[in-house]
Parts: sequence; C-alpha cells; structure tokens
Amino acid sequence: MSKPVQQLPWPVVLKKEECKGVMIYAECFGGVVNEVSLQLLTPAKKIAGKLGVETTIVMFGDKISELAQEPFSYGADRVILVDDPKLVTYYPNVFGDVLVQLVKREKPELVLVAGTLRGREMAPYVANVLGTGITADCTGFDVDEATRDVLQIRPPFGATMLAHIKTPKHRPQMATVRPNVFQLPARDETRKGEVIVETGISVRPPSIELVSSQEVKKDEVAIEKAHVLVSGGKGIGSRDGFKLVEELAYALGGVVAGSRKAVDAGWVTHERQVGQTGKTVKPLLYIAVGISGSAQHTFGIREAKVVAAINIDPDAPVFESADYCILGDYRKIMPAIIDEIRRSKLVRPADEFKDPPGKNLPS
Amino acid sequence: MPINIIVGVKWVPNTTVVNVDSTTGTLIREGVPSIINPHDLNGVEFALRLKEKYGGAVTAVAMSPPAARSGLEFLIGMGVDRGVLITDRAFAAADTFATSYVLAKAVEMLFPVDLLIFGQETIDSSTSHIGAQVSSWLNIPYVYYVTDAQVMEDNHRLRVERSLERQTEIYDLPMPCTTVVSMKSNTPRPVTMQNKFRAKLQKPIEIWTNEVLKLDTSRTGLRGSPTVVSRSVPTPSVPRKKLMFDGREKPTEAAKWLLDSLSKEGIA
Repeated sequence: MSKPVQQLPWPVVLKKEECKGVMIYAECFGGVVNEVSLQLLTPAKKIAGKLGVETTIVMFGDKISELAQEPFSYGADRVILVDDPKLVTYYPNVFGDVLVQLVKREKPELVLVAGTLRGREMAPYVANVLGTGITADCTGFDVDEATRDVLQIRPPFGATMLAHIKTPKHRPQMATVRPNVFQLPARDETRKGEVIVETGISVRPPSIELVSSQEVKKDEVAIEKAHVLVSGGKGIGSRDGFKLVEELAYALGGVVAGSRKAVDAGWVTHERQVGQTGKTVKPLLYIAVGISGSAQHTFGIREAKVVAAINIDPDAPVFESADYCILGDYRKIMPAIIDEIRRSKLVRPADEFKDPPGKNLPS
Repeated sequence: MPINIIVGVKWVPNTTVVNVDSTTGTLIREGVPSIINPHDLNGVEFALRLKEKYGGAVTAVAMSPPAARSGLEFLIGMGVDRGVLITDRAFAAADTFATSYVLAKAVEMLFPVDLLIFGQETIDSSTSHIGAQVSSWLNIPYVYYVTDAQVMEDNHRLRVERSLERQTEIYDLPMPCTTVVSMKSNTPRPVTMQNKFRAKLQKPIEIWTNEVLKLDTSRTGLRGSPTVVSRSVPTPSVPRKKLMFDGREKPTEAAKWLLDSLSKEGIA
C-alpha cells in the first residue's frame, strides 16, 4: 500500500492591493513560441489598457533564449525568460512551480494561459498552489474598472449560456483561454525590447519520469487552419456515408471535420471535432451535413465567415445558424454539388490541395 | 499487486436546456434529470480494468446533492466496490477550488490509496480542473489525457500512456498518483443484473456529510470559492442569412444555387 500523503500547508495568498499587471504564460515547445499563446496578447492588451498596466510574457524552457524577442513583435511590454537545462522536459507540476514562483515575485493581478492540452493540465495546479481561483476555457473578457475585477467569460452548460465569472477577493485572477477565439495581433518585427533573464528560479527535480515521447505524424491540414471545412454529423448514418463528405471536401479543396456524434460513432477522429468539446474553427466556408446543430456544435463555428447546411429535417436547429440552407437528402445533394463543381471546373484554393479522399478517416 | 483506486465522479444535469438562478448565477438543478457525467464513466471503466488485472478495490466518490445516490448505485452495477456520496448544504455552489478541497479531504479519509482517477471534463461545466487541483492539495503527481496504464510491480510505479495534440507520451509515476483519463480511451461497460442486485441488496452507498468530514465551512461551498458567477447570459447568436432552398426534389438546382451563392460571396 502507498504511504499517506504529506499535505501542503494552506497556501499563502497574495493581497489584492499589491497585485498589478497582466501576465501571460507563453508555451515554448519544439523550438517555437506557440501561436495560441501569443493570441492571448489581443485580450491582454485590451484589459491592460483599461487597467493602466503592462502586459508581461513569461516563457520558460531549455535553450529558448532566441525566441524571447518574438512576443515584443506582437505587442508585449515585457518579456521574462527562464532558460534552464532542467526545464528541457515538461512536467505539469515542475513547470507549474516555475510559474508559481514568477507570480509570487511579479505579483500580477491577472494570469492568462492558453487552453492547449498542456495549459489546461498545468494552470489549475498553479492556481491551487497560489490559493486562488481559475476559470477554464474563456472566450471573452471584460473589466470592472472600479474594482479592477476582470470578468472571465466562458460557455458552460452546453454553450447555451455565457457565464461572466469574477474573482473578487483573490489574486491573481487566473484563466485559461480557448485557442483560436482571439486573433493573433499584427506582427511588427521592428518592435524590440529588453528581455529580463530570470536566474533566481529553483526548478525542482520531477517526481515522475517521461519514458518516451513520440511525434504523431500528421500531414493533413488541421481543421483550425483550414479555409474550407465540410463537416458531417449523426445524419450521415455510416462510415460509408462519410466518404461523400470526404469527396465534397476534396472537390472544394477543403478538409473534413465532424460533430461530436460523428466522432463518437468513429467516423472521424476526435482532433477533427468541431464544437465546445472539440475545436473552435474559423474557415471562410463551413458546410454542415447531417448535423442537427446543437448549441455545443454551433459554438465552435461562430467565427466561420459563411455557413452552409444540408439537412433532411426542416426543423433542424442548424438552419438557424447557417447562411445557405439546403433541405434534402445529403446522398442526393452532395453528389449534385460535386458534379456541379467538376462541370464548372471551379478553382480550388491553392493552399488546400493536400487531402485526397480517405486520408482523414480513422483507419 | 492489488491496488486501491478512487474514482471521482460528478452527478450532472442531462440536458442542454439549463436554468440559471439569476441572483446567484448558479445552476438550478430542480426538475432537470441528472446522470453520472459520461466522461467519468471512462474513468470508472479504466479503474475496473486495472482492478481486474491487478486485484484491489475501486471506490467511487461523488460530491453532489443527495439524488446522486442512484448514480453511485449505477456504478456499483458496473462493478465498483464502494460508493461514497459527499453531500452537505455547506458544500453547495462551490467552484472547482472549494470542490477540490473537500474531495481531497475525503480522499485523505479513504487512505491508503494508490491511484486517483478522474474523467477528462464534465458535460455541464467542462473545466478539467479537478484532477490537477485535488493532486495539488494532496501533493501527489498527476498526468492528464491518459489512454492506458499498467502497474510496474517491482517498484510500485504506474506506467501510463497519454496523447497530446501532436505527441503520444509514456510516463512513469510513483504511486499514489492521479491520472485524468482521456474522453475517448475506452467504452464503459454496461450494468450487469448481478451487480445491480448487489447494489440493491447491500445498499453500500455511504453518505458523508460535514459531520463526517468536519471541515471549516469558510473553506467549502460558495464561501470557500474564490470565483463567483456574476451573471449568466444566453449566448448571443451570430447573425446569419438563413436562406433556404428546398432541394428534396431538385438536388441539381440546389447544388447550383449553393455554388452561385458562394461565388457571389467570393468563396469557391
């Protein structure tokens, strides 16, 4: 049997009045700053402007100093770098403890972490060690200038509601932010700054061990990056039916996505799932086929420029969230669209050529 | 080597239609049918498979209103050995910080424990917080998005496989530790009649109120929560054109209409 645990003491809580500024933790893995971390500069700059404070990016890892100018190009006021060989491997509590120490030194009033899988894993640990609250997967922010409280806006309860959450007494306020909801700020390479190299941080030895890490080879276009998405739902009815979704995607030079039900049925992989429990996408064109259009699903396509829907059910809620609605059987409508595209030799967007049919389906 | 496993589960409203108390901003549970959070069933299945392989016991713990008893009975029906329902007015309306504190205290009372298991997220609030937060209170290591695990018998470590956006990774964790199980990692087993009968006959669901846990109530429930919901508003809809074409009898015309429209939009 395992030995009893040693509990941590009740955390020392930072005082509200001593905390100023906005801090963003920027993920640096594989020799790059994660773009979704830099997207956070967009809401952060807005909040910092209202509060009259600076935005600081903190980044840590091993041999990442050459990345440290990058956040300045996107508008960061300050960059703090922790470059330590002991940070060569990410462990949630080891990286988390580094962020805890930086927060205790810098005393920001708000800490934002991109809601990547690692970010969602690490950030709640950090908040707990700091004895403060955290809001997950935020899609918006607002500021109550009188109290300096940041309203952290997120979609719980199946995305039908937006909850405005605040942390009135505890500091820092903490939030993870949903990737791809905020635009990356415009890049200005001439914008430079002086990087603060932090050397006084202790990195504890990890209690767990990474035995191996394998890159999953992915040569298809990720749905977050695609300009055209053809997405199938429960109404497709079978794996065979999904081949038609593939074919239309290919004809349009786009890629395949799916609803939660299509993922649950095994017709499309989880990483291609659109919606609240999947991904937020922002294509020029989103075609929903056989998707009823639950609030959870349509929450993921709010940023799509044009939405088309094909459904057999005249009362499908998806028609309320689409620009072009075709009532009918997808088995007849989709082949007609594919024929029409081939007949008229419509040009496909050049950057979406890569996916021949069959590639995105689970094997 | 037998292992003692605790699975944390949540009793959640089974509907997308929810009502929110406009004064407190918290969820109104009355009148909404509830279920065990589906992603927690993956955690239960994960625990049961480990128990079948290595021996030991699986305890399911829920912090929920009293009605969650039937949910825990369902888990006994799946094969869980023991169900503990933590329920007290003093724990109500807690955020994840205050919830994790109570859960950690309950886990402490259930020691010795080798492995804590949580589902990836709940369908009602989708935070993914609790696994990391409970681990932080107990000062034990944790890993998320776990798809497989095996006990390394020689040195009392757990070897887990997990997947991230672009990697699959293998970790060794000393026990006790926490694994947060990936949503798609397994298919939860159905309830068997035999186990269901066991649940009815033995009534093994234990009810733990704060008389059992004896926690300072300024650290639990709404009072112990750093975050508060200041208000909830319906998600504003995105303006869309909502132009309809009935293509039931005219698929070719529907296709032409769509492609014409898209080319006018400057797409296709």
